Amino acid sequence: MPENDQAKDGKPQDDMQRLLEQPIQPQLSDNVTAVDEVMGESVDLLKRDFLLCGNPDYPGILYFLDGMADASIVDTVLKALITYGSERNLDPAKLSTADMLRTSLMINASVKTFDTVAEGISALVAGDTLMFVNGLKQGVLICSRGWKDRGVEEPSSENNVRGPRDGFTETIRTNTANVRRRIRDPHLRIDPMVIGKRTQTDINIAYINNLVKPGLVDEVKKRLGGIKIDAILESGYIEELIEDAPLSPFNTVQSTERPDKAASALLEGRVVIFIDNTPVVLIVPTFFWQFIQAPDDYYNRYWVGSFFRIVRYCAFLISLLLPSIYVMLVSFHHEMIPTQLALTIASGREVVPFPVLLEALIMELAFELMREAGLRMPKPIGQAVSIVGSLIIGQAAVQAGLVSPFMVIVVAITGISSFAIPSYSSSLALRMFRFPILIASGTMGLLGFASTFFALLLHALSIRSFGEPYLTPLSPFRPSDQRDTMLRAPMWMLNSRPGFAQDHDRMGHDQMPAPPKKDGSQ
Amino acid sequence: MKIQISNGMFIAMILNIMYAKAIGVTQGVLARTVGQDMWLATLLGTIEGIVMMYLTYLVIRRTPDKDYIQLGQLLLGRWFSSLVALVIFAFFIVAFGPVMITFVYHLRDYFLPDAPLWIFVVTSLIVGTIGCYYGLEVMGRIAVIGLLFMFALNVLITIGSMQEFDIRNLLPIMESGAPKTAKASIHYLSDCAMATMMATLVLPVVKKVDQGHGRFGVFGIMGSGMMIIIWAILEGAVLSSEVTSQYTLSCMKLARNAHMGNFLQRYEMIMIALYSLPALFEVMFCIYGTSVCMSRIFGIKSNRPMIIPCCIMLGVFGYWIIKDHFRALDFLENYWPFIALPVAIGLPLVMILLRKMLGYKLQKKSA
Repeated sequence: MPENDQAKDGKPQDDMQRLLEQPIQPQLSDNVTAVDEVMGESVDLLKRDFLLCGNPDYPGILYFLDGMADASIVDTVLKALITYGSERNLDPAKLSTADMLRTSLMINASVKTFDTVAEGISALVAGDTLMFVNGLKQGVLICSRGWKDRGVEEPSSENNVRGPRDGFTETIRTNTANVRRRIRDPHLRIDPMVIGKRTQTDINIAYINNLVKPGLVDEVKKRLGGIKIDAILESGYIEELIEDAPLSPFNTVQSTERPDKAASALLEGRVVIFIDNTPVVLIVPTFFWQFIQAPDDYYNRYWVGSFFRIVRYCAFLISLLLPSIYVMLVSFHHEMIPTQLALTIASGREVVPFPVLLEALIMELAFELMREAGLRMPKPIGQAVSIVGSLIIGQAAVQAGLVSPFMVIVVAITGISSFAIPSYSSSLALRMFRFPILIASGTMGLLGFASTFFALLLHALSIRSFGEPYLTPLSPFRPSDQRDTMLRAPMWMLNSRPGFAQDHDRMGHDQMPAPPKKDGSQ
Repeated sequence: MKIQISNGMFIAMILNIMYAKAIGVTQGVLARTVGQDMWLATLLGTIEGIVMMYLTYLVIRRTPDKDYIQLGQLLLGRWFSSLVALVIFAFFIVAFGPVMITFVYHLRDYFLPDAPLWIFVVTSLIVGTIGCYYGLEVMGRIAVIGLLFMFALNVLITIGSMQEFDIRNLLPIMESGAPKTAKASIHYLSDCAMATMMATLVLPVVKKVDQGHGRFGVFGIMGSGMMIIIWAILEGAVLSSEVTSQYTLSCMKLARNAHMGNFLQRYEMIMIALYSLPALFEVMFCIYGTSVCMSRIFGIKSNRPMIIPCCIMLGVFGYWIIKDHFRALDFLENYWPFIALPVAIGLPLVMILLRKMLGYKLQKKSA
């Protein structure tokens, strides 16, 4: 607890710790005092006292948080405690343990007992209802979590044309259910964990037991278990704390809002990390090429999937290199441009007062500015800003002679290409990489371009994601994984899982559709 | 965990370390020496290189987990291992001269004539340092990518040169005679020397090197020969040996000459961009070789602390060599082969001899 809190409450840390560690007492008043002292005078903390089976010798109390607990569940609990017991003439003296109470009286689906105040408090703040009854040495926990949450919607950052429309929400159990619904395999495991000293955020680690590489789940748990932080408000917190290359601009942990993507990752032998209160789940290990692949690749026919995958690879290269190549050619190596094209570029640049590098930097920064402004503003205004920025300002800048029309085209194509990359977070990283290559190309020509590009390549080759090389399966080269890297092979050829998975066989062999053979065999 | 590189990576490393210099400057030297027989000199050099690589392998055959420096320690103790390290260190320092000549003159003379020389030296050393810092595994991986680039470059040059290809330019064969061609082949053999000296440090980390019976290194030299001889034949047949001999960087003349249709009249920049990777790999390995040797001499476990001091030494020597074109060419043609070959052939021979004489020591230590 921070020092200012201590001062305000007038309760040292030791006292709080002592209260939390205190076992549940048979005297109801002791437990009430402990919970009240720990929780303080919170307006949303509701207490409801009752008489067990209507017997005044057995008073009890329910604690729950308004807004976090479902009031109808609390009503059911009260009905069971007060009415059912007396209707069935149950003797409260015979319900001498919390466990008997749980098994004989409570009708809720999930009811547990607990022994210390700390256990009760952590469940209470998660939305459960606590129950204490005078004379019982244990408390009872009733699962009553229920709050207003967003419905399942299509994720706005990962659109697709063909495929499921559902996306993850901010509720962890809805998210795990969305994946479980897709994979009805008893080997699908979802292990719980809590991270965040103050937020006590629920984390779920999902994997398919006999597919995941031995040791990977332990490594994930080890890294997650090593996190010492007071709050987890989004998966980004965890992502940065478990990465293999924390200083690298490359994303070595994949994030998604799509349950089908998460399910597909699990079926490839990877581990999915769900975090409560965010619709973004994390997937490890991650490979660079996955950021360029989209779910549509698998839902459309393989010709279409492969073609658009190639288009995206081209978009990736254009997004990374086009401005640098343009600046390098126009600044240093104009003899390499075909004559007609060179004349067109030169005529456009005739009135521009800036060097090409500066012109490119201004345009790129202006583009990023418009993108960021469009993103932050309310949706209708954001669209207007984008249109005004791209059309009107661009046109005005060309007419004023501040930038050449060719530069506008280059920056526009680069921007569009960066939007073609399905992973939003990796397209942001790509946009950042553009600048060092651009500056190096604009100051040192081919030397700068080649050096920066190879330095970047060396860095990408050096990094790993949970022990797996980041550029796998191209480097190191895995021939069997090539069927789903640059191209998407037909489904009947995708009969093996990626090399790092434990069970390689994805489907039986010889599944290519074919007419029956003449002898009648299939 | 001990680093290991695959056989493919090792072969790719051999190709990378030889390719840039062999197509860039060696062909011009060969053309000046034996005219249109330069492809024959390259072929002969490849065969000699295969023998030299096998000799290098023979040294570590029975101790596949030890490089030359570690083997020297086992044979004659610390002073001898330091001596071996010093010899290899000196080799890579000197080798940096031809490497810089290849890299800098290609980029400066044809693309950035106004840029100061130091920019080329410093930039290449920075990239080399990054690669060296990441270690041998990353260098192996980038070598595989470099191999793809080399294939692409060979395809581009072949397509672009086929229109002017005239086989008659290669005739008559053996005009210079066998002895002269064999003598000229030492220029190509000095390129192979870089590969064999690389193998002295890298072979122990190659996966299952003892089961390969030296064939990985041999495949590497053969692969390099195949990739490079294409240039020798194209330069002879397209440019003719007379024209080739007029250029320090004959491959650039061939690249400038190449064109695809009317629209793509010049695309040598694409080729040089592809060529930069093997050239930078050479720089990278010179840094790696020198830093490893230095760390062994000073008894430091990791080579990383030695990268910057080695870069300074390499940079100073490289800059001094390339500052004067005449000095660079003189060094390349008259000094480099006569420094490289005695080391690359002599060191394995000495080590084999010592193994024969002191083999009992190794058996005792392994027992």
